[in-house]
Amino acid sequence: MIINFLFYFFSFILILSSLMVIVVQNAVHSVLFLVLSFISSASLLFLLECEFVALLFIMIYVGAIAVLFLFVVMMLDVKTLTVKKDILKYFPFGSFIGIIFLTEIFLVVSDTFKTNPYIGSSLFNYYTNWLDKVDSLTELESIGQLLYTHYVLQFLIAGNILLLSVIGAVSLTINTSHTAKKQIIFKQLSRTYKNVLIV
Amino acid sequence: MTTEILLFKNINILPELFLGISLLYLVLYGTFLSMNKNFPLIVNSCVFLGILILLMTSFLLVNDSLDVLESTILNNTINNDFLSLTSKLIISITSSFCLLMMYTHLNHQKINQFEYILLFLFSILGLFLLCSSNDLLTSYLAIELQSLSFYVLASFKKNSTFSVDAGIKYFILGAFASSLFLFGSSLIYGVTGTINFSDFKDLFFWIFPGSILGLSNLEQYYENQDQDILLLALLEKFSNSQDKLLSQYDGDVLRYEIDNTKLYENSVYNYEKIYIYSLITSTVIDSMHSILTTSNNQSSLTYEQLYYLGEWLYFLQFSGDTMIYHLLNSYYLVCDNTNDFIEKGTFDEKNRFELTRWFFGSFSFLIAGCVKQNDFQDLHVLESSLDTNLLQIGLTFILISLFFKLAIAPFHIWSPDVYEGSPTSSTFFFAIVPKLGLFVLLIRIFYGSFYGLIDNWRYLCVLVAIVSIIVGSFGGLEQRKLKTLLAYSSISHMGYSLIAFNSGTFEGIQMLLSYLIVYVFSGLCIWSIFIIARLKNNHSLLKHNKDLTDLVLLNKTNKMLALFFTISLFSVAGFPPMIGFLVKVGIFLTAIESSMYFLALISILCSVVATFYYIRIIKIMYFEKVIVGKLYYPITSNKGIIISLLFISLIFLFINPTLIILITHKLSLLILN
Repeated sequence: MIINFLFYFFSFILILSSLMVIVVQNAVHSVLFLVLSFISSASLLFLLECEFVALLFIMIYVGAIAVLFLFVVMMLDVKTLTVKKDILKYFPFGSFIGIIFLTEIFLVVSDTFKTNPYIGSSLFNYYTNWLDKVDSLTELESIGQLLYTHYVLQFLIAGNILLLSVIGAVSLTINTSHTAKKQIIFKQLSRTYKNVLIV
Repeated sequence: MTTEILLFKNINILPELFLGISLLYLVLYGTFLSMNKNFPLIVNSCVFLGILILLMTSFLLVNDSLDVLESTILNNTINNDFLSLTSKLIISITSSFCLLMMYTHLNHQKINQFEYILLFLFSILGLFLLCSSNDLLTSYLAIELQSLSFYVLASFKKNSTFSVDAGIKYFILGAFASSLFLFGSSLIYGVTGTINFSDFKDLFFWIFPGSILGLSNLEQYYENQDQDILLLALLEKFSNSQDKLLSQYDGDVLRYEIDNTKLYENSVYNYEKIYIYSLITSTVIDSMHSILTTSNNQSSLTYEQLYYLGEWLYFLQFSGDTMIYHLLNSYYLVCDNTNDFIEKGTFDEKNRFELTRWFFGSFSFLIAGCVKQNDFQDLHVLESSLDTNLLQIGLTFILISLFFKLAIAPFHIWSPDVYEGSPTSSTFFFAIVPKLGLFVLLIRIFYGSFYGLIDNWRYLCVLVAIVSIIVGSFGGLEQRKLKTLLAYSSISHMGYSLIAFNSGTFEGIQMLLSYLIVYVFSGLCIWSIFIIARLKNNHSLLKHNKDLTDLVLLNKTNKMLALFFTISLFSVAGFPPMIGFLVKVGIFLTAIESSMYFLALISILCSVVATFYYIRIIKIMYFEKVIVGKLYYPITSNKGIIISLLFISLIFLFINPTLIILITHKLSLLILN
């Protein structure tokens, strides 16, 4: 009951926020709504008991990509324009494309998902997830158990790769001598097309 | 499958564990000592510690007793067989030679960071894991470990634009190649559902052995195989066996199949199944036809056989398969004397037996004729059951990514630039050592697991080998820098090894491995001489990009070094009194033995062309009349000893090649476990 309620709640937020992403005028607000839509879809995945995918969603999309978007948008200093008068101009074309996509989705769904041909016959059997009733091991637990036992060597190699990348990044960026090549912003800005050597 | 964790039985990976743990200790050592201001040359002590670690690792490798322990450990992801052991031993010895040779060079280049040695050891750890990896995931991680450290090694000289440029080039192209590897592996995983090389071998060597169905043992298939495979097995048995009759057991299997098959509309899987059924039916009918024509006696079929066949045809009648209808129609049209029967009856439960008899009385003749006309001999049974196209795409991606890593010709563009731009000590390392590990991985994937599909991947390999040899031979002619020239030389050598690789025989593997071992040792010799011959020039103390003309006075300043350089160049070019000749001849012989005459011809001609640029270096060293030139510093005695050892090995192995031939023979025989 409560899960159903939460499902509808998050779906509502997801639809609303993804609508706001394209409707809102300010780019920063739009990115923030994007983050909200990621979070609500991740919570939908949580409700479906896909904890690992949900956490990956939050970590990668919210933690990395959306924050990157936000930085870029804030740095670019986009002027907010009034596009209200354009909405009417683009409405027919936009709705046309939207209807086409909607029909495509309906066609795909109606082709892919079918009713069970055995409904009503004696062969029809109801689906019962016995695993749920017997043993409830969450996804995260099972992945963790697999990762630390079955793939222990691969896990160690991945750890080594991380260590290597840290060491490599540090050794490449640390400034031990003044002759090392580094960015001089004035030089870079005063560089023009004409005084560049073209090979 | 029971899960295994790191237990004492996994002691087989002790060398890797030792290397990894000592790496961590080296990190601590370097960090604490580099903070001490009074310690000027930390890289020297780190070089010697690295050599010590490598020698101890090779000690552990030598003492690895393969007889006692299982070869595949850690849930089949690591395969420590003789091939991986030998290649790891060669890699560790070669890289300790590299470290020994490069440490004065590091001092002169003013590279005084312990991270350099650390990255070196990381890449060796990656190569070790690459040699013994037995699934796609482990091999990908090993490749990443190895190539990430190479990117940093290439761009380590931060005050040189060329080095930074080389590092970025190497990084971008290497990342691209790694992504290709990942894409290919994901395709293969999608098709087969496994990433383990042993499983690939089971699948493509024993169950689906390429275009041939090696189904001698039907009982095995009846018991525990998939239904499609079972049907294929039956089909194969019908078309091959002498008596061409159904046994009681076969009939039971068929009946079981019929009972358990449910028909859904538009199901591709089901369509395939029906297709196979129809093939079986036509084959059965064909065999019946042959029996009837030879004996002219219908009673040679037993009652049970007829029963099963009737069941069979009954099923097919309701399967809705268009092909069967087509066959039936063609029959109906031709067969006039049974027209009345067709008008009368349908295929229902009552007269099934009569129908069966009727079918085999006359029907078989005509169906047999149809079968003959449609040329059923060319039916691609495998393609209908297992989609190898996607698998081939995946394999091609993996091949291309490994060719990128090996710098084989259409994918070689980065290698001369990167070799030229990176610090010489790094180039020294990644021109020689990783080739062996990558070829071991290639052998594991393409010989160990996908040998059944050799006809598919071989075309690409042959093309790439030809292009690589041509590019390597002709591209080197124009070069004036020694490093770039050696890069082109390595491209052509990789082409020669690829010839042996795609021969598909044990001799080919043997020649490939011996060629690689000789390549490693002669490359070590050449690059060592290149790195320790230091010009006496105040201005170019930091620059180490030798032109070919810099070698003019090497003969005058250091006669023995010039002689060694000449001899090792001759060995690489393939002149007779050196081991390079023997292995090159071996490669050409394997190409000819596996009927690749055109490839052998082209590679021999290009080998002649490539000799030009080796000989040009020798001409510059000995036969140039110059008044002004650059002199060289003398070399230290311990380096002299190592160079002499390498040099003597080149000649000694020609006199007595049994050592290398025997080792590689054992390796080639043990590849398939």
